Amino acid sequence: MKKFDYVIKDEIGIHARPAGLLVKEAKKYESKITMEANGKKAEATKLMLIMAMGIKCGQTVTVQVEGADEEIAYENIKKFFEDNI
Amino acid sequence: MKDKIFGVLQRVGRSFMLPIAILPVAGLLLGLGSSFTNETTLNTYGLMGIMGPGTVLNAILQVMSAAGDIVFANLPIIFAMGVAIGMAKKEKEVAALAAVVAFFIMHASISAMITINGGTEKLLAGASASVCGITSLQMGVFGGIIVGLGVAALHNRFYKIELPQVLSFFGGTRFVPIISAIVYTFVGIGMFFVWPVVQQGIFAIGDFVMKSGYAGTWVYGFMERLLIPFGLHHVFYLPFWQTGLGGTMTVAGQAVEGAQNIFFAQLADPSVKHFAVSATRFMSGKFPLMIFGLPGAALAMYKTAKPEKKKAVFGLLLSAALTAMLTGITEPLEFTFIFVAPMLYGIHCVFAGLAYMLMHMLNVGVGMTFSGGIIDLTLFGILQGNAKTNWIWIVVVGIGYFIVYYLLFSFLIKKLDLKTPGRDDSEEVKLYRRSDVDARKNASKGEGKAADPADEMSQNICQGLGGKANISDVDCCATRLRCTVYDSKKVSDGILKATGASGVIHKGNGVQVIYGPRVTIIKSHLEEYLENAPEEVYDNSSAENEEVSEATDNPSTEEKKVVKTIVISSPMTGTAAELSTAPDEGFAAKMMGDGAVVEPSESMVCAPEDGEVAFVFDTKHAIGYTTDTGVELLIHVGIDTVKLEGQGFEVLVENGQKLKKGDPMLKLDLDYLKAHAPSVVSPILCTEMEDNMRIRVLKEGKVQSGEALFAIDICE
Repeated sequence: MKKFDYVIKDEIGIHARPAGLLVKEAKKYESKITMEANGKKAEATKLMLIMAMGIKCGQTVTVQVEGADEEIAYENIKKFFEDNI
Repeated sequence: MKDKIFGVLQRVGRSFMLPIAILPVAGLLLGLGSSFTNETTLNTYGLMGIMGPGTVLNAILQVMSAAGDIVFANLPIIFAMGVAIGMAKKEKEVAALAAVVAFFIMHASISAMITINGGTEKLLAGASASVCGITSLQMGVFGGIIVGLGVAALHNRFYKIELPQVLSFFGGTRFVPIISAIVYTFVGIGMFFVWPVVQQGIFAIGDFVMKSGYAGTWVYGFMERLLIPFGLHHVFYLPFWQTGLGGTMTVAGQAVEGAQNIFFAQLADPSVKHFAVSATRFMSGKFPLMIFGLPGAALAMYKTAKPEKKKAVFGLLLSAALTAMLTGITEPLEFTFIFVAPMLYGIHCVFAGLAYMLMHMLNVGVGMTFSGGIIDLTLFGILQGNAKTNWIWIVVVGIGYFIVYYLLFSFLIKKLDLKTPGRDDSEEVKLYRRSDVDARKNASKGEGKAADPADEMSQNICQGLGGKANISDVDCCATRLRCTVYDSKKVSDGILKATGASGVIHKGNGVQVIYGPRVTIIKSHLEEYLENAPEEVYDNSSAENEEVSEATDNPSTEEKKVVKTIVISSPMTGTAAELSTAPDEGFAAKMMGDGAVVEPSESMVCAPEDGEVAFVFDTKHAIGYTTDTGVELLIHVGIDTVKLEGQGFEVLVENGQKLKKGDPMLKLDLDYLKAHAPSVVSPILCTEMEDNMRIRVLKEGKVQSGEALFAIDICE
């Protein structure tokens, strides 16, 4: 299991579009990717749940990756956050 | 093979349930009616004054008696229809009609044969009977069952027959009564020769019984029970009750013939000290059996029924048991197990013989008008006093019978897993659904099986009519398939014509597809197909104007069978379009999910379906909504409206709030949005799309809030 913290840079937080991209990315991996913020937790493959978290700019998200391909998944997801959110 | 026979027997037994359901009522009418219109009974109890001939009460009772009697008198034809209906796989009403035709024809043939061969005088006494006014052989219920089973077999084989074009009017279901008529003409001729042999066997046994003692009484009781399913018990016992076969005795100075006649003569004679057991040996045995034994069996069947079915079985068994106890009509109860567990019936026959024998040995002298229920026991046993009748032994032996029947039936049912009511593995409702699923699987799996051209045609017709969910009902006349659809716009004339129709006529929601005389077969196929087809809608309204080749392409894209379709309605009034037209790459590329877009023209956004608000964005521009059907929707109002930070929106709901379709959720300031956002085109998305799910847009152009917007097809 690997995890990292990330501070959201996108001014409008994780809204529909970035959430959609994130889900698309997360679905590429076998590993279970979970996000935690605002005291809420959601699997990164569940668009509705991610959007329901209402993550805003400046908030910290803890991302956790666990599973067979967690090494690659961890690297790529981390990069995805840095590039997009 | 054994399983197959068993399966058929089970269906035969089940097919008896419809005609049997009428027996308790008929039995009560006949039992009450005949007991209290019997002048001997009325004289005995001094009821002549209030119930004698000429009184209103008597008139009512006579009508009751007649009403009940007519059912018993015509049980054979009722069974013929009931069995045919129960055994026919489809188009059951046709089988019923064919059964009546066959029944009449069979008996008419027998009747003609009797006349040709010298009339009824040449037959054994009691061998002939009037069946629905036809002088024929006494075949009892068995005659009806022969017809029902045979007609159902013919029906299942021929109801879809296709005849050459010139004769095609007589094809399909219309062929069934025709073939039944022909076949049963010959069956009738055959029966004229075969049945008397069967009857002779019956009479020979009757003769033998008379010459024996206690053992003979046992055989009498055993045989009488054994013949019930064949309807021959009347043929068997009536000679004992009404003719010299049952003994001759001088009562009050007059020679009386027949067991029942002797009993009633003695009943009217105040000088009799004890009723003649030599006569009542043919009657008394029914009492412990019917009042005590069979209800014990009913209790055993109820107790051994599956818990979830007890409630359903309770009504059937209770009414049957009460009927047996009160009136002595036992067929409703006996028919519940005779065909699913013939062995139990065999045991029942043995005990029946034993009951008669015990009554004979214990010198019990209780007679009956009609059968051995509580009504007769009260009138002819209890009220006559124990000195004359020894009726108390009926109760003593009866209690024993109740216990023995209960324990023995319970034990055997459980031990041998007999399929008495409520223990049937194939619970009908579930079976139907399961087979439904299987049928679908087979259809999508084995191309070989699904390639049945008839089914393919049905599928195309179904599609042309806008899918199963759009079809209200299907019927046909001589040349036209007459259908009623829910939405006539979804009907595609092109697809229908491609199936071979020479024309399509629309009248409101009625659609007539003209195929010519072979339409009855097409209808049968279509109905069969529809039974197994999934509930779905094909919207042909947009395909309507396109090329026919486009329409015929449709089936190939439908390769995967759709097992479920969920319809999502529009949350707003405006203009609907495909999602790919959304003026935003992300949405148009279906990155957030698939669905449709609506450009709102009115300010209210409402719940598209019953469901729950999953979340409302802080910026109020989008709502996550979970429908009660489990679909997660994102209703995203406008493009880039996230940047307005809530301006132009008024939220009327909160997270987790349950809503009904049409409940308002958001109020839009359309003027503000149009001025400040790139577009007000609003994607309505299903966010969790699995691989087996497909979106089908149902509406393009003007759409009202609450009108079906798109469908989610879920494939296997």
